[in-house]
Amino acid sequence: MAQSDEEDDYMNMVFEDAPKGPKYETSLQRAARRRKEGEAKARQKTKAEREEEAEAAREASLATALPETNKGFKMMAKFGFKQGDALGKSESGRKEPIRVNVKDDRGGIGLESEKKRKFREQFEEADRLAKRSKEEEGDYLEVLRQEQKEKMAGRDLNDAQRTAERLFDKEAEEKGTPEPSEKPLKDINVLWRTRARRRAEIKRDKQQRRELNDSIASRLPTLAPEDDDDDDDSKVAQGQDLAPFYTTLENDVEDEDPELEDFEALPVTERLHKVLTYLRDKYRYCLYCGHEFPDAEMEGCPGMTQEDHD
Amino acid sequence: MTAMTKREYENEDSARVKRVKTESNGDGKMAAASNPYLAHWNDEKPSKSEYSSSGGGGLQGFRRHATTTQQANAAEDGPTNAFTGRALSSRYLSILKTRRDLPVHQQRNEFLKLYQESQILVFVGETGSGKTTQIPQFVLFDDLPQQNGQMVACTQPRRVAAMSVAQRVAEEMDVELGAEVGYSIRFEDKTSSSTILKYMTDGMLLREAMNDHNLTRYSTIILDEAHERTLATDILMGLLKEVVLRRPDLKLIIMSATLDATKFQKYFHNAPLLAVPGRTHPVEVFYTPAPERDYVEAALRTVLQIHATEPEGDILLFLTGEEEIEDACRKINLEAQDLSREGGAGPLVVYPLYGTLPPAQQQKIFNPAPPPATHGGRPGRKVIVSTNIAETSLTIDGIVYVVDPGFSKQKVYNPRIRVESLLVSPISKASAQQRAGRAGRTRPGKCFRLYTESAFKKELIEQTYPEILRSNLASTVLELKKLGVDDLVHFDLMDPPAPETLMRALEELNYLACLDDEGELTTLGGLASQFPLDPALAVMLITSPEFYCSNEILSLTALISVPQIFVRPAANRKRADEMKELFAHPKGDQLTMLNVYHAFKSEEAQANPKQWCHDHFLSYRALQQADNVRLQLKRIMEREELELMSTPFEDKKYYENIQRALVAGFFMQVAKRDGNGKSYITVKDEQNVLLHPSTVLSEDSEWVIYNEFVLTTKNYIRTVTSVKPEWLLDISPNYYDLSQFKKGEIKQALQREVTKFQRKEAMKGKR
Repeated sequence: MAQSDEEDDYMNMVFEDAPKGPKYETSLQRAARRRKEGEAKARQKTKAEREEEAEAAREASLATALPETNKGFKMMAKFGFKQGDALGKSESGRKEPIRVNVKDDRGGIGLESEKKRKFREQFEEADRLAKRSKEEEGDYLEVLRQEQKEKMAGRDLNDAQRTAERLFDKEAEEKGTPEPSEKPLKDINVLWRTRARRRAEIKRDKQQRRELNDSIASRLPTLAPEDDDDDDDSKVAQGQDLAPFYTTLENDVEDEDPELEDFEALPVTERLHKVLTYLRDKYRYCLYCGHEFPDAEMEGCPGMTQEDHD
Repeated sequence: MTAMTKREYENEDSARVKRVKTESNGDGKMAAASNPYLAHWNDEKPSKSEYSSSGGGGLQGFRRHATTTQQANAAEDGPTNAFTGRALSSRYLSILKTRRDLPVHQQRNEFLKLYQESQILVFVGETGSGKTTQIPQFVLFDDLPQQNGQMVACTQPRRVAAMSVAQRVAEEMDVELGAEVGYSIRFEDKTSSSTILKYMTDGMLLREAMNDHNLTRYSTIILDEAHERTLATDILMGLLKEVVLRRPDLKLIIMSATLDATKFQKYFHNAPLLAVPGRTHPVEVFYTPAPERDYVEAALRTVLQIHATEPEGDILLFLTGEEEIEDACRKINLEAQDLSREGGAGPLVVYPLYGTLPPAQQQKIFNPAPPPATHGGRPGRKVIVSTNIAETSLTIDGIVYVVDPGFSKQKVYNPRIRVESLLVSPISKASAQQRAGRAGRTRPGKCFRLYTESAFKKELIEQTYPEILRSNLASTVLELKKLGVDDLVHFDLMDPPAPETLMRALEELNYLACLDDEGELTTLGGLASQFPLDPALAVMLITSPEFYCSNEILSLTALISVPQIFVRPAANRKRADEMKELFAHPKGDQLTMLNVYHAFKSEEAQANPKQWCHDHFLSYRALQQADNVRLQLKRIMEREELELMSTPFEDKKYYENIQRALVAGFFMQVAKRDGNGKSYITVKDEQNVLLHPSTVLSEDSEWVIYNEFVLTTKNYIRTVTSVKPEWLLDISPNYYDLSQFKKGEIKQALQREVTKFQRKEAMKGKR
């Protein structure tokens, strides 16, 4: 080990001291250098390198307009054409040639921009996080406490939403107006709509993944006589489609839901507050007591928040 | 009896008028005599056009541009043919019945009224309305072109359409194709002196305009399928916009299949518009929930899904090209067999459809769907996997399901790198609608778009770019110059191309010496415009006698103008390549093609040319077509007094002369090898390219000329032949003016050649 270190030092020293530049190049050295350069030049470029170069050259040329020295330009100038003009009577014609886009895969329409959008979103998210952590630097403990609180509130929110949904469904059933299982998302109370949406998304993702993985033939619904004994869920579980692929499009998860977006944008504690209020007002239920009170007074419940119950 | 006499009189009258016509058209005839495209003008076959004595006066009482639907209906009902006077066949009468059911027939009155009132008319009729076959006939009965010895022209963007529609209309009118109804396409003219309705490609009408600027032979010109916006249709619209001012008697009808026809209306000074609804059923459109990772795979999946789950009805799948289509057909076939064996679905037949498919095979798409495998079993179905030819030009009944991945191969041209290539690109919204509409021809249908609705809205352009924005305009500019259009900068086009496209075209024509530095047509340019060829090919052909090989260059030009002559079936590639090897010339593909042609013309091959082609993996159709093209071009050469000659085959300069002649046309398409690697660099544009794998070029060629720059993920040059740099400098000194070259390897290499040459000259001088 020591020996090799020594050697390195020795080599370094020599190189540092060695005269540089062609001034001191001996004929032998020159020949060697030339040979090396020649080899580098003659070296076959790899396929990837070549393709990259070809594409770069193409893109560079595509981005460069023809110069005014072009003979055609002079002929056009005779009729009053100037750089930046368009052709035609109305001068509303296009000024740039149509872009040339070479498609090199079989990606469907919209795939590329979808990828870009996702990438951008990730980038923005990372950016946001970085910013936030900077802002809160120095207040570490406070941050931790806050985070802990939010986490708990998040858990409570989830519980409260589940309870609200359950109570709502129960009430509907008691009234004799059970809700259809495939209710449009927009008709679900915004306070717990996010749950229904998440379920729908999970279902869709599963289906997509299945479609992607399964081979063509096995993807096809079996056409055995239709027995409706199995309920829908078990069919989904078996990887069978409930209906042909495309009919699922109609109850596809809607992309735009401004109402839900607005709700989700609220801080978690505020959302929790809203759901808790709803539970108390509508069902006289306190999440922390875990009890449905018989009257509106809700006697015995210390208060609305978790702290009240401590 | 009196009626009979009267008819006879009418007959004589019209015959007389006919004779008068040829005389009154004296001026036109002079020009026509020297024009091969008008060669049929000179066909004096009076006996043929003379009406038979048995009558034919269905047209009595018809006053030009003042006729009514009732009159026309009565004339159509017979009993004699209004235009020929012959008795009408029973077939005619049965076709007439179906014609009267077509949607356009309902509006014959309205059409006549607008047609009579205005010089220009925009007519919108969706596919299936019957506009292409019926409107020209409506016009005939009112325009009566035979009275003035004129014709009605109806243009079509495609050769096949011009031919098949003419055939159909000839049947509908109960006349022989080529008599009253004919067609004219590049390299083929099926008309005669009795022709009154002529279907033709838009390109042909444009060429006729070059020799007859006012198109005086026509009383009405119908531009059909104008929505397709082909290059020739766009140029014709620009020209006709001016011609109608000079010729108030000329009527013009623009026919379009799409509703954005207001654009045509606006362009033609707010011409009146008449729309006829097509016979279509509602089509339900479905989108995918997320973008597809592989559109071909998704398409196959969808087709099989439809087959397994949807009720009876045929499927039309749009893909982009031959290879993709053949591959998809194979896969669908395999999967469908499995399916049907397992009892999951009925039998399925798959047909490919693309432009280069032989007509007999194209015809197969009209076969009915297969019957159920067992009596009372699940119904059979046919699937057609097609390029976008099935989008507008071909009508296939029975299609109920359309699968649209949203891509097609589209021509692109970029003047900056001078590449004209077919690239897979997203279609436009208009195209997507057109595709969907194909599902509703027979009954309500479904269209499955393999992209999301938001992608449809955000990513697809509204209209497909017209061809004029995607083409090299060298040929068009030459035609326009010949047409007398001097100021190309302000020529009134519906969608003017980018200025650089015109710039490049003018520059190319200048290097080819077709235009002088002022942009004026030269003698060579005028001559080149007589050939229905790319200017570079025309110039090569015209200058070939200087290289003592005009016969060979004539053959080569024909071979380059037709589809691929080599056949390379996927199942038999190796054998096909071995056969090609038999003809291979080490110096390149053009010379190899020439060898093929010579072998094809040999006695041995001509004994049974079809079999011979089949055995040698050559396309009989393409070679036959090349033969025909060669003949047409030869006629032009003879007329223009260009000498036809060959270097004796034994002469060692036989091939070299041909290579040099090639340089005279292709000097702007040259590439030099990069170092000693495999890749090449194109001269001037400096693009890195590879030789296309199909080339036979075997020896190390430092310099090559190429026929085509193909843009894919790799840049390829296709159909190449090796040349010597000194030929470039010698034959095209203007283009190879080294002071205009960018510094680099190519300039250095050419500079070395110049020095070498100068030294040689100096040596000679000393001696």
